[in-house]
Amino acid sequence: MGGEFEVLLLDDEPIVGKRLKPALEKLGCEVDVFTDPKEALKRLSEKNFDVVVTDIRMEDVDGLDVLEAVMSKSTTTKVIMITGYAMMELAQQALSKGAFDFIAKPFKPDDLRSVIIKAAEVLGKTDMLKCAVK
Amino acid sequence: MMLFQNCLDKWYNCALKRLKTLLDKKIEKIESQNNLTGDGTSITQRFTVRSHIYMVFVISVILSCAITAALGVTVYLITRDMKYVNLANTYILLSNKAMFHERNFVAGWEDIKESKESIKAFEMVVFERYNDFGNFFDNSRLISNIEKYGRLLDDLTEINTFPPSEQTNAKVVKIRNELHQLSDEISNYGKLFSERTGHTMRKDMFLFKIVFVLATFFLFLFMLFIVHLLIYRVLRTMSRIVQYAKHLSTGQQIKFMPGKVYQDEFSDLASALEQMMKEFDRQQNIISQSHKLRAVGTLTAGVAHELNNPINNITLTAHMLLEDYHDLDEDERLDMIKDLIDEADRSRTIVRNLLDFARESESIMEPIGISDVVTETLKLAGNQLKLNGVHADLTIAPNLPRIHGDRQQLEQVFLNLILNALDVTLKGGQIRIDVERGDEPNFVVVKVADFGNGIPDHILHHIFDPFFTTKSKGKGTGLGLSVSQGIIAKHGGQITVSTKQKRGTTFTVKLPITTIPADIGGNMESAHGAF
Repeated sequence: MGGEFEVLLLDDEPIVGKRLKPALEKLGCEVDVFTDPKEALKRLSEKNFDVVVTDIRMEDVDGLDVLEAVMSKSTTTKVIMITGYAMMELAQQALSKGAFDFIAKPFKPDDLRSVIIKAAEVLGKTDMLKCAVK
Repeated sequence: MMLFQNCLDKWYNCALKRLKTLLDKKIEKIESQNNLTGDGTSITQRFTVRSHIYMVFVISVILSCAITAALGVTVYLITRDMKYVNLANTYILLSNKAMFHERNFVAGWEDIKESKESIKAFEMVVFERYNDFGNFFDNSRLISNIEKYGRLLDDLTEINTFPPSEQTNAKVVKIRNELHQLSDEISNYGKLFSERTGHTMRKDMFLFKIVFVLATFFLFLFMLFIVHLLIYRVLRTMSRIVQYAKHLSTGQQIKFMPGKVYQDEFSDLASALEQMMKEFDRQQNIISQSHKLRAVGTLTAGVAHELNNPINNITLTAHMLLEDYHDLDEDERLDMIKDLIDEADRSRTIVRNLLDFARESESIMEPIGISDVVTETLKLAGNQLKLNGVHADLTIAPNLPRIHGDRQQLEQVFLNLILNALDVTLKGGQIRIDVERGDEPNFVVVKVADFGNGIPDHILHHIFDPFFTTKSKGKGTGLGLSVSQGIIAKHGGQITVSTKQKRGTTFTVKLPITTIPADIGGNMESAHGAF
């Protein structure tokens, strides 16, 4: 195994991180959870993640800013957007800017896990995951 | 004079009759109003201002004609009397002159010719004005007396040509005696004539005075009539309507009462205004409703997002709980269940706020804490603020008095102001809300300030106009501020704006505090106007 599959999870709702962290860890990911986008951006500048999961609507900095920051730094990192209010306009914007996928709230932990697996497949890192999910 | 008396009597009777019918009608009206309240219009008699003006005109024409005629008649009478008096004077003068010459002649100092001439002149006057004399005394004997007098003078002249003798002397004495008698009689006629014409003159002068006094009296009455028209019917009613309009502009709801003793144009105006106010209210409700719908639309987007968060949290937590139930220790399970409950609560609050706002309801005026209203509104707008990345800075002065108002409507106003401020604030900016005591006593103010671009001068005076908006099509209806102004006015308050280019805009809502709620009710009662 060549290290862990690294995921950064950013959502201003603390419960999201609290619940998804164990869910993704079960998949075999190493998860960094943030509720403050600024801190997340700081962390992103320090380290390259395989997958970044970010909420779109947040105070101060929104998900699109995070997406841009990630895209400008790393071409391999896959960004998965989460939003509470699915708007076609925003989805298109996010996808055209290079987001990997788009998940609308409310979603199940498995929804995210399947997108992560998909991302891992694209990255060729499926071996890093315990593919327990169908 | 008799004619006048008759007229007066008739007039008096007429007035009495009119008064009686008016009284009857009034009694009837009061009775019928006691029986059926409300539609008094069909019962009240119609007495329009127009007919009042016509009446004034007709009466003024009649009155001036009457006064002119009466004065004309009396002046005519007096002129005639003066002629008689002159005639009497002439009579007395001429007769005295004739007598004087006759006596001088008899005394032998003068020629008989002069005496004759003067009696001729006198006779001429009497002949000319024979009829005039007839109006005052029986003049049938006057002419014969004068003629006889002339004849006697002739006889006397004839005798004078004879040489004086006893016979002639006796004749002269006889004639002289007769002349004396006649001249006495003639001067008596003169005295009688003078007395009678003087009497008529005095009588007519008296009549003139009476006519003058009566004319003044009726003119005075007529003035009262005009004053009544102008002051009581027109000016007072107008000032009442002005008062009514003032009360309305301060937002007080007053019932217009067109009921009056008689119905006139002002009653029509009153009912038209009343109708207008009803229609205006209806339109206002429609506008307010459509504004509410717009606000609800804006909110729904936010609320959908806001609601998705707790639902998402619940979904995630429930799934993880299901997945790991057996691997988790009890504390972790309890923590998850607590989260579930909290998040469910959170969604319930959001839904309730939305429902409260959209609720269709009558306005309920009650004593409320203004700070609560503002805090609630801020919560309602909270998500919108969060999404736009705008920070709201709320400052509330301590111990603020309560105000008398409708919570929901005030929330609508503040929400509108906050959303407006939000629209002009850039991401990461802030808006400021201050709740404090007003500069004037008995007022609290809420200031909603943004730090946007400010409102340009040329549109500043339009911002409260209905349907005026600077927002792009479909984003704003242009109703928010006009509806807000209506609501604040209804609360007896005021909404003002101050703005500086590039520095931002502050909307200030001033609301009266409540001391005793009954106070407001009392004011409203006294503001009721009857027309």
